[in-house]
This record gives sequence, C-alpha cells and structure tokens, in this order.
Amino acid sequence: MLELNNVEVLYSDVILAVKGVSLKASQGACVTLLGANGAGKSTTLKSISNILTTEDGRVTQGSITFEGARIEGGDPADIVRRGIVHVLEGRRVLRHLTVEQNLLIGGHMEKSGQAVRRRLDEIYTRIARLAELRKRTTGYLSGGEQQMVVIGRAMMSRPKLIMIDEPSLGLAPLMVEEVFNVLRSLKNEGVTLLIVEQNTRVALGLADYGYVMESGRIVLEGAASDLMSNEDVREFYLGLNLEGERKSYRDIKHYRRRKRWLG
Amino acid sequence: MIDFLNYLINGALVGLLYALIAMGFVVIYRASKVFNIAQGELVVFGGFMVWWMIVQAGLPMAVGIPLAFVAAIAFGLAIEKIFFSRLVGESVFSMVMVTIGLLILIRGLVLVLFGPAVRPFPIIFPLKPIILGDILIPRSLLFGGLITIATGLGLSWFFNATRTGLRMTAVAEDHQVALSLGISVKRSIAFAWALGATLSTLGAIIFLSGKSLNFLASDIGLAALPVALLAGFESIAGVLLAGLIVGIVQGLVTAYVDPAVGGAVGSVFPFLIMLAILFIRPTGMFGWKTIERV
Repeated sequence: MLELNNVEVLYSDVILAVKGVSLKASQGACVTLLGANGAGKSTTLKSISNILTTEDGRVTQGSITFEGARIEGGDPADIVRRGIVHVLEGRRVLRHLTVEQNLLIGGHMEKSGQAVRRRLDEIYTRIARLAELRKRTTGYLSGGEQQMVVIGRAMMSRPKLIMIDEPSLGLAPLMVEEVFNVLRSLKNEGVTLLIVEQNTRVALGLADYGYVMESGRIVLEGAASDLMSNEDVREFYLGLNLEGERKSYRDIKHYRRRKRWLG
Repeated sequence: MIDFLNYLINGALVGLLYALIAMGFVVIYRASKVFNIAQGELVVFGGFMVWWMIVQAGLPMAVGIPLAFVAAIAFGLAIEKIFFSRLVGESVFSMVMVTIGLLILIRGLVLVLFGPAVRPFPIIFPLKPIILGDILIPRSLLFGGLITIATGLGLSWFFNATRTGLRMTAVAEDHQVALSLGISVKRSIAFAWALGATLSTLGAIIFLSGKSLNFLASDIGLAALPVALLAGFESIAGVLLAGLIVGIVQGLVTAYVDPAVGGAVGSVFPFLIMLAILFIRPTGMFGWKTIERV
C-alpha cells in the first residue's frame, strides 16, 4: 500500500536527516518505526505527508508510492485526499477551538455538511471520551485527552493510512494504554497504521512489523514478535537481558554493551 | 442633553466606521495569522479605485463600485501570489515585515499612479443628514454603521460555524497542523487578503463619500488600530463593540474635554486606550488568550 524506496531527505540543502530509508506498509498492517531521538523517524513521516516544505526540507532521492502512485514532493492537501493523514508529534490541537470544532476541521474535505456531521457522530461513538468533552476548549484538556482529540481529528477524514508520531509522548501509563486501545480498534477495522514510537514495548505489542532507525538509516527490521525477542532490541530498547529480567546497568561494564549492528 | 445625544450617536457611528476598518486587520489575521500594517494603504487603494472608476472613467455608480471591488479583490490576490505564497511556514514575524514593505510599496504606487493631488471623492451617500428632532445624523455614517454591523455579524458566523471559515481559523492557529490535515494554507491566505481588500474598499466608500481623497487617507488605518487591539485580533464581533466604545469615548472627549484644554485630546484618547489595553490585557477583550497548561 505504502512503499518507501531508498528515500533521502535534505534539510536546508545541507543536513541529510534521512539517508536512504526503505520501508513498506501493506493494506491493513500496523507498522512501527522505532529509534532514539534524532534518528530521523519524524522526518520520515514528514517526507510522506510532505509537510517538510514548511521546514525547508525536501526529498532528494528515492521514491514514495501509495497505492501504486508516486507521491513524493506532492501537495500535502492532495496526499490527505488520497487517504494518508499525519498526526504530528506533540498533540498539536488547535488550542483555542473546542473539541467539536477541531473535529469538524479534520473533516473539512467531506462533500456536505451532513456527511461531516455523520462522521462526527461515528467518531463520538468510537471515542466516547470526546463526546463528553465536545464543548470544551482543547487547550485546557489533559495530555491524554488532547491526544484523543488529534487522533479523532485525523480519523475525521476517513483515512486509509494514519501515521502517528509518538502518541505516548509525555502520557501517564494508563493514558498510554487508552490511546493504544483506540489505535487497536482502528487496526481491527482495517485502517493501516504507521506508528513512530519511543515506547518500544507498547508499540511492538500492537504492531505486526517493526523497523529500527538509527542516525537516518534503518538498521534492523522484522516481525514484531521477532524484534521483541531480538537480543539487541531487548537490551537497548527494552532494558532486559536474555532471561527477560530487568537488568541493572551497574552490573555490567559499558564497553560490553555494544550493539551488534552497524550504526 | 440634546448635544450629549448628538455626540453620543455620532461618536458611535464614527466608532463603527473604525470597526469596519479594524475588521480588515482582524480578517487577515484570522485567516493567516499575519498582522497587516499596510491596512490603511489598502483603504487608500480601494478609495482610488472607486475614484478612478466613477470620476475618471465616468462610469455610473452601479457599475463603477462593483468594478472597484473586483479590482480590490484582484489586488488582494496579487499580494498573496507575489509576496505570501512563498512564505508558507516561515515565521509570522517575517510575514509582518513583508506588510511593512507593502505599506511603503503601495504608498509609492499610489503616488506614482495618481499623484499627490487631492481628488474629490464621488458622493455615494446623499450629503443631506437625517434630522430627528434636534439630532443630526450623517447618512454615510448611518448606512455605513448598519453595513458594518451586518458585515461583522456575518463574518463572525462565517469564521466560527462554516467549514471554510473553520479551515481558515485552523490556518490562523497553526500552519503546519493545517497542512497536515490537507488544508491549503495558500488558498486561505489568498482569501484573507481578498477579503481584507474588499473590507478596506467598503471602508473607503463610507469614510470618503463626499469628501476629498489623497494618499494621506491611510491615516484611518492608524485610527482603527486601537479598536482592533481593544477587541483582540481574533474576534470579529468583538470589533463592533470595541469600535462603539472607542468612537463614543472619542466623541465625548472631543466635545467636553477639548474646549477646556485647547483641543486635540480627542484624537489622542483612542491611543491612550490602546496603551492601557496593552498594559492590562494584551490579548484584548475578546482575543485568544495564550493558553498555558501547568
């Protein structure tokens, strides 16, 4: 469905943030992109939705295809129309507007006002929390509620593929669970998901397939269950040793903690 | 007592005129997050278009005025195309700097095209005032006030309830989020400038009807600034109320304080209000408060 082939992203004509990333998300799959800060995960998502332009970035190499059509460098509005919606990092609600206004804006591409209303009701039944909050100003909501709003807003456009950038960022564990429950319900419904996460455990719990990024490259990929049991992922992203116990870093010498892939 | 009523009503109507000009600021701000310093120049441009169509080209009003609006809209769209379409995603500050450039550019353009001479503006509203007992009301201000109220309420509804309006509101909040939802930021900004230019032309017609016109008419933009600040830049309906407050206060101060101190307090007073507002409540009466979560 979505395929990136050897994509390179250049910021301000000098900074190469993504150095030849290839990844694939097939229809109905849930794919996660893992990695530390600055690995290029968010930039990869932005290259797909092409909101790179606002940050003086562009795709210089490679191709991005969605349902057989090349979309790299396209008009962001056109990409949304094709069915890809990007939920930006950091719960970017439209702060001064109410929950309902936020959602209505998400559905702005619907043909008629009635269609938007219908979609709105669907979202309210799906995420009951939002229905309770409909008249509240989003700027004053809690972090978890704001995350629900931006996910609901993205769903308003009836996307085929939702890309979510760090849905768990800064949320309490209970809220993380709630957010991922919403994502799980989307997955069960057949929406393709591409999730960028630092919370490896939660992300691999939901995903079918995962990629690990490091300094602009994909260094490891595999089925979520394989990644879960991969020695390096366990050690560096999950903080577990081979026996599955939480390990104390005090007990080992740092030079032994060497990754087995080439960064 | 009759004098007081006269000052009150005329002050209110002048205030509504300010409100109409201030609406130009607000509309552009609400759809693009840009504070347009060149608003007064847009009024002058609109005024000259009307003058050119009716006085110079000799067209009847029913043709000339709509044509002037068309020209103003085209001018607004051209501004977006030439200057702002390249700046999507740039900081708001750089966009505001562009409007300073626009101010100088339009002023120069008007001088080059029409010269510095004072031109008679066509009489669009009959000059004979409406007389109710002892109260005199100028027709242009009365009709202008009614048009302003209707426009203000209409636009307020448009921005808060219609889908196109909400789309623009989204652009005013956050360009990147708007883009990520598939909203065309460029189209929104183009619409804002077209609307801003239209409102300015409307303001020019009401303000200048039967008066004289030259490039200095742009001062009305400055006079409207306190109104926009008092209301807060995001609230269109708020501009109506702020306009009434500023107009009435100015009218009464001019009538009662000016003679006592030898004049000019009336024209300074709106700016005193503006300074006070900036100290006490920088977001204005109805503006978007900066939301900080702690």
